Amino acid sequence: MNIVVCVKAVPSTTEVKMDPKTNTIVRDGKQSVVNPFDASALEVALSLKDERAAAGLDTRVTCVSMGIPATERLLRDCVARGADAGLLLSDRAFAGADTLATAYALTCGIRALPAAPDLIVCGKMAVDGDTAQIGPELAGAFGVPCVAGVTEVVSLDDGTGGAGAALTLRRDSDEGSELVRVCLPCVITVSKDVATLRMPSISGVRAGEAAQIDVLTAETSGADAARCGLTGSPTQVVRSFVPEREHVSERIEGTAAEQAARLADIVRGME
Amino acid sequence: MAQIRPFTDEFEEYRRDESRSSGEAESISFPTSEQEVRDVLRELHAAGTPVTVQGARTGLAAGAVPHGGHVLNVSRMTRYLGMRQDADGTFYLAMESGVVLSELRKHLAAKNLAHAGWDDASLAALEAFEAAPEQFFPTDPTEASACMGGIVACNASGARSYKYGPARPHVTALHVALADGDLLVLRRGEVHADGRTLRLVTESGRELALDLPTYVMPATKNASGYYVADNMDALDLFIGACGTLGVITQIEVALMPAPAVVWGVSCFFASEAAALDFTEKVRPVLAHAAAIEYFDAGALDILRRQREASTAFSALPELSDDAAVCVYVELDCDSEEEATAELYRLGEVLEATGGSEDATWVARTEIDRESLIFFRHAVPESVNMLIDERRRADPTITKLGSDMSVPDEHLHDVFALYRRTLAEAGLESAAWGHIGNNHIHVNVLPRDAADHKAGGELFAGWAGEVTAMGGAVSAEHGVGKLKAGFLATMYGPEHIAESARLKAELDPKGQLGRGNLFGEDVLEAALAQVAGAVAAPAAVPAAGEKGGE
Repeated sequence: MNIVVCVKAVPSTTEVKMDPKTNTIVRDGKQSVVNPFDASALEVALSLKDERAAAGLDTRVTCVSMGIPATERLLRDCVARGADAGLLLSDRAFAGADTLATAYALTCGIRALPAAPDLIVCGKMAVDGDTAQIGPELAGAFGVPCVAGVTEVVSLDDGTGGAGAALTLRRDSDEGSELVRVCLPCVITVSKDVATLRMPSISGVRAGEAAQIDVLTAETSGADAARCGLTGSPTQVVRSFVPEREHVSERIEGTAAEQAARLADIVRGME
Repeated sequence: MAQIRPFTDEFEEYRRDESRSSGEAESISFPTSEQEVRDVLRELHAAGTPVTVQGARTGLAAGAVPHGGHVLNVSRMTRYLGMRQDADGTFYLAMESGVVLSELRKHLAAKNLAHAGWDDASLAALEAFEAAPEQFFPTDPTEASACMGGIVACNASGARSYKYGPARPHVTALHVALADGDLLVLRRGEVHADGRTLRLVTESGRELALDLPTYVMPATKNASGYYVADNMDALDLFIGACGTLGVITQIEVALMPAPAVVWGVSCFFASEAAALDFTEKVRPVLAHAAAIEYFDAGALDILRRQREASTAFSALPELSDDAAVCVYVELDCDSEEEATAELYRLGEVLEATGGSEDATWVARTEIDRESLIFFRHAVPESVNMLIDERRRADPTITKLGSDMSVPDEHLHDVFALYRRTLAEAGLESAAWGHIGNNHIHVNVLPRDAADHKAGGELFAGWAGEVTAMGGAVSAEHGVGKLKAGFLATMYGPEHIAESARLKAELDPKGQLGRGNLFGEDVLEAALAQVAGAVAAPAAVPAAGEKGGE
């Protein structure tokens, strides 16, 4: 089985600071880290690999990222934690990509892998962009089903029973929790708390440092330049801003009965 | 001035500290400045009222538990007072003693030091500090809510003391208010003892000639009793004095550039013997280890149970079944290349001593480091929860944690002692701590009052054995009230009497930190002796006592 995990480099800070004048994220010079949602996605993939290994089945986990050359360091870290390979799409032509152009670049990279993926796992969203669009867009590009916002991987049926490989998943929806069975190949996007990414071991660190991380450009990945980067991005950012929050407080006076009545009015007003 | 208030029920919590023992007091004050501390002391001095100094009350040796009289709580003294930079580029930060360590760390990391009222020289140094690479204060007791006064008063250490030592070498100046409200201003390098005689001049111009105790301190991590050495720096006497000589009102510490790369490595072993072997062999190999910590089988089992039982601990990384014990190594390096090379050296020792590079967790990111910090802190927290649970059945039991250290060559011996005697006494235990410094906190987990009593007796026996190995009965928590008996075992009655006389010379009414370091009999005898010497200066010294001036 081939599992692809898409990872994004994001600023390494738990407190994202916005520049009040430019409304952009303040990069504090600290090193980037794997987007926390994508870290959970990697753990989902590694857990499936462990589970299958226990049953004597082979699984190859490949991490794919689009980013600057330094992102290679993060892909080595993914290998240190148990991934088998890393692929980096890095080219000035990819710069300024919106989610459509990013998904296109990732699609080209994934298509360039030696074997077609049975499963693509993405984080539900990135902490610096919050769009949650890459996973569904990849599913569209590959023409496979997508289950977004997975909160639990219940089981993997490897298809030896003859019905075809399938995943049973739990996901949260506005109505509650859904149990979904989806045939492979497919794309899933996972919530952050679906799993905690394991730490690497020393032998893992050695493997990560020794790993060959493949780097593809727009040209070597076979991408159409017109669909890459800023040129291939139909999204126009007209303005970005930090939403203003309004806090209104009211002091409720009077007898207990009067206070309760006023409180009830307020609650009714919220409906 | 700070109000001296009656010790009413609203101050109930100030009867206790983290040692979970409690005391009594008649009054309490919360001074907000050095001047207020001195005013309170002056007022209490006339009647000779006992004064217990408190900071954040996070101590484990009951040093801040009142012993009658007055509680002087410095937790509202939290100002930064100034900064300087020397010719080498080192920054020094002066602060009041109530500054909390976690706040100091936060303010240093964010380069956000409140500087109202600073003079021009300090503001110029602050400007240089803001432009410089990140600076830090390396002392890291597990309880980061400790305050700086308490950290200095017990010469606290923490995990990183393997590389950076205890608080002592980082303290460069102190203001110490004496029992009568007079003040000592001490700066490292300015005043030294002549042999074992120390002459100090107070702010009011009073001259003090102090006979320092004659014992030789163990050559190991040590926070037991007064620091004394031939020709010592006067400043060192007041670091680790457990609030018995004066009230620390102001502290200046030297800052250090924060390491560029900090990695944590947890190594799991199938046996304690393998972990000890690894520790001994890895120490000379690693050039950048800041901490070498240990968690025994009892500690890991408690963590496993807590992880299952409590949602608060469910985020702990999962331990494999064959991980019996753990050694954690922190590497502080200048670059990732340096850290990687050090990690590989560590791995080679691991493989050669029965461990495996596969059975390790390497924390190289902030999230992973936080996970390992959570893991390390979860151990004492879990033990506290377990003891609290057992206390519900038997309120007389408390936790019993040892704090003893030995020289490197006795690492195996001290573990053999612990294991043999714990097994003989049939006691349940969990041990963790600073194995790099041969300094383990063995915690007896009493099931009932009999276990509690047996545990106390065991520790008293260890005090003698550890002393015989050239070790210290308290390596970092300080002696406080709980370990005064062990200190007597460590130094013997004559040296304890010398220490008590030193205290009596600085605090002739025996007001400060009453109950800390000395039993009442020893202190009373010293006070009487010093009072007699003052009344009759020509008196002939008693046999065995050092000659007078």
